[in-house]
This record gives sequence, C-alpha cells and structure tokens, in this order.
Amino acid sequence: MSRAPLIQRTAMPGLGLSAGITFFMLTLVVALPIGALLWQGANFGLSNIWATINRDRVWAALWLSFRLSFLAACFNLVFGVILAWVLVRYRFPGRRIIDAAVDLPFALPTAVAGIALTALYAPNGVLGGLTDQIGWQIAYTRWGIFLALVFVGLPFVTRTVQPVIEEIETEVEEASATLGASRSHTLRHVIAPMLMPAALTGFALSLARAVGEYGSVIFIAGNIPLRTEIAPLLIVIQLEEYNYDAAGAIGLAMLAISFTMLLFINLIQIWSRKRIGHV
Amino acid sequence: MSDATLPKMQARPAATAPRFRSATEESPAARGALIAIATGGLALLVGAPLAAVFAEALMQGWGAAVASLASRDAQSAIRLTLLITAIAVPLNAVFGIAAAWFITKFDFRGKAFLITLIDLPFSISPVVAGLCIVLLFGANSALGGWLVASGHPIVFAVPGIVLATVFVTFPFVARELIPVMIEQGRAEEEAALTLGATGWRVFRTVTLPNIRWALLYGTLLCTARAMGEFGAVAVVSGKIRGQTATMPITIEMFYNEYLSVAAFSMAALLTGFALLTLLLKTALELRHADALSATRRH
Repeated sequence: MSRAPLIQRTAMPGLGLSAGITFFMLTLVVALPIGALLWQGANFGLSNIWATINRDRVWAALWLSFRLSFLAACFNLVFGVILAWVLVRYRFPGRRIIDAAVDLPFALPTAVAGIALTALYAPNGVLGGLTDQIGWQIAYTRWGIFLALVFVGLPFVTRTVQPVIEEIETEVEEASATLGASRSHTLRHVIAPMLMPAALTGFALSLARAVGEYGSVIFIAGNIPLRTEIAPLLIVIQLEEYNYDAAGAIGLAMLAISFTMLLFINLIQIWSRKRIGHV
Repeated sequence: MSDATLPKMQARPAATAPRFRSATEESPAARGALIAIATGGLALLVGAPLAAVFAEALMQGWGAAVASLASRDAQSAIRLTLLITAIAVPLNAVFGIAAAWFITKFDFRGKAFLITLIDLPFSISPVVAGLCIVLLFGANSALGGWLVASGHPIVFAVPGIVLATVFVTFPFVARELIPVMIEQGRAEEEAALTLGATGWRVFRTVTLPNIRWALLYGTLLCTARAMGEFGAVAVVSGKIRGQTATMPITIEMFYNEYLSVAAFSMAALLTGFALLTLLLKTALELRHADALSATRRH
C-alpha cells in the first residue's frame, strides 16, 4: 500500500472524543438537514422541480435576488477598497471609530437593520422625505433592496483587502515612482493587481451573503410579486402555505447558486495563492 | 510598518523651501476626497440607521420605550432569546474546540473537505437552513411525525430554534481557533504528555491558555449572531406569541402591528448589545492581536 493511512497514529490524546463530537454535530446540524432537502428534491423529481422553478414569479424572484446582489457587491467592491485604503494609509481623527464601525453590519441583527433602513428611507422618513422631493422613492422599490444588500455586505471587501494593503512594501511604490510612473499609474498598475485577489474574494463573499439575505430586505422591499419579491421570501411564502415540495424546489435552486459561488470563491483563492503566494 | 507609509518629514526651513510631496502618497485633494467618501459613506450607510433605531425608540420618550419592553410579549421574547443563546453558544464552543483539536492535532485524509463542510453554513441562506430543518424534523416527515406523536416536537418549538441558531453560527468558533492552533503547533502538548500529564490536564493547562483569547473572540461573534438571527428562526419557530417568538421575531410582529415604539425599543436593546460586542471585539483586537487569527474575516 503506497497510500497514506486514513489517519496517522500519534500519542496525542482525545482522538475519539474530538472526532466524535465533530462528526456528531456536523451530522446532526449540517449534514442531515441538507440531506433532507436533497432527499425531498429527489422524491419530488427533476421535472417537477423544473416545473416549480420555471414560473414567471420564481424566475423574477431569483433574477431579482441575483441581479441586485451583484450590483450591491459591485458597489461594496469599490467602496470597500476605498475604505480599506483610507483606514490603512491615512491618519485622521475618528479613524479608530470608523474602523470599528465597519463591522457593525455583522454585529447588528438583520431585522434591526431592516426596520431602521425602512424608517429612514420611507417617504415619511428623514432621508426618504428628501429623496421623495426629487421624485426618487427608495423604500418599497428595488432601490430599497439594493440599499439593504449594500448594508449587509459592507464589511466583506474592506476586511479581506485591509490586511493585504498593510503588507504592501512602500519600496514597491517608490521603485515605481523612481522609474517615472505617475501616482495614478502606480495605483492602477502596481497596487491594483496586488489587491485584486483579496478584493475579488471579498466581492464573492458579499455577493453570496446578499443572495441569501432575508431579514434586512423584507421590511424595505415592498414584496410585490414579479417586482420587489426576493427569492428567500418565496420559500417562506411556500412554507406558510405548507407547500413543502415547492419550498424545497426553490431551496434547491438557491443551494445550487450558493455552491456555485462557493466553488468560485475557492477557485479565486487557489488562483491567488499560485500567483502571489497568499490569500 | 505603518510608520513607513506616513509622509516623511524632512528637516528644512518651512517658510522658504517649496513643499515636495512624497512619491508614495496621493495629492492632498485626492486624500481629502477619499477620506470624505469613506467617512461620509459610512456615516450614511451605518451611522444613520444606528441613530434611527434610537430616535424611533425614544419618539415618545423614555417612559414609553421602557414600558413597551415591560410588556408580557416583550418579556417572554427576551427570556426566550437569552435561553436560546445560553444553549446554542456553549454547544457551538464545545463543537469549535473539538473540531479544532481534531483538525490541528491529528493528520488524516480529507482534512480540507472537513473544513469546507464546517464552513458550509456561512454560504447557505438562513432561510434555506431553516427550510432544511423543517424538512427533516417537521410534522410532514416520518421522523418529525414520530417526534410530534411522542410529545417532543422540534419544529415550531424551542429545540428547532436552537438547531437553526447552531446551524447559522456553526463555523464561528472553529474557524477562529483552527488558524491559531495550527500556528501554535503540537510541541508544547507533546512535551506535557512526555512529562506524564493526562489528556485533560494537557488541554486545561497547555492548550486552553494559548487559545483563550481566540476562543473568547469566536464566542463573542457567535453570541451576537445567535441573539440576532432572524431568517432561519423565522422559518422554524412558527412565530407563536409568548412561546417561540424570539427578540428579532417579536420586532417583526410589533413592526407589522404598527407598534413602532415597541419594535424600535426592542431593536435598540439588540443594537446596544451589538455595540457592546463591537467594543469588546475592538478591545480584544487591540490588546491581544497576537493571540487572534492573523487575518480578520467575518
């Protein structure tokens, strides 16, 4: 046998206990429930699943969730890189508070974010009243969904890019400048390529989070079928009608989207590891 | 390291000499614009909603806000959320420690796959997570039907909410501990074993002191998420007033009933906790940066 044994023998104690707890929890909490969804799908049958998804209302919801999540992730990509750059490179009053505030969307419950954004941007809210005067309604439209998705995905890009900017050696920028490059040329051709893999990872994480987001969106979305109804809400509606087959079918479609994005994130990380030696 | 990025101050008479800008910094105008975009954007996106929560809660004064939190629905929601958190977070911490020990102290095949499985819940929509639990334990499934018949329902009851909460917070502790324990290696534990210490003693006196700050950090993030989870809990709880309505679920109920002060008062309570979490997290990052995972994500 040339293959390595399944597990290397060692004197370290606790193998049975730690492996036991790990596999028990993993099975009970993750594997069995996801297995139940796959099992439900297998029983329902591929053609029935397709028939459930292939309806205008479901397509509209999936497409809306994905498209707005993509746009929100794009916004977060640009804003997140600027934020990371400012936090690492510049010293200004309040920097520490800003740095800590970046994580607030992770710490704040999504339902709280949802009602707070709605209160602000509803036509009778402080900011919604202002935009209403120029005929721009945010709450209960797609703008509101976009805003909520920007909020929940905000920290990802900043937190993946920040450590990379901290590691950049100024010598690289000095070398570029001595060779006659302008500052903007250096930023575009020296700095940007170094930040790219981390920024893309943050982008993908932000996108994945936004596609599945529910709590912060439903309050501000208006939830009008075909127009402002997101995919996770469709699952909730089907479950409230005890339509488990349809809920399972839409759930499987979302699971497929999640897995595709997980694969994408892993590919980016493998690519970046090959290219610059770290993530 | 960050000092090297600051503009270098040359000793020269300031009044006469022209000011040169270092080649590694942006023009003052660009710099100012970037700082303005960053702070302004964050104030609008994060600061404004934060202020809105407290402003709406105190719309009718402190008395009304406090009174709304004393109502029976509010009290039972607070108790339920504390109960769920008190069960889910320790479960998660035990799992995180066990998984990190298993993954970092032993060599086996399929390790990368196991880590991916542990990370999986972060990539799945909370609503889909709730759906999975309903399909497994709901009254419509064979297992669920038997559980309901024997008087131990999981879905639309406390165990289901705990399960959903553990699902969505699953990777927090493990993912924080694994990098720290990989970096620390196994030599210290092996030395203690050679000197005759038992397994538990090795863990308590050698491993635990090394990972305690990372453990606290992971537990903190896990607690914040556990108290605030909405999507997964909304699906499995059945939203039964006074029985399975957690704090976030109760916020939704109050809000939909146009009880604005009650909804925002409870939201303010959770926001206060989120701010406390951020404060403790920042303190940990400042004081014990070396003891935490090198890269900060999630």
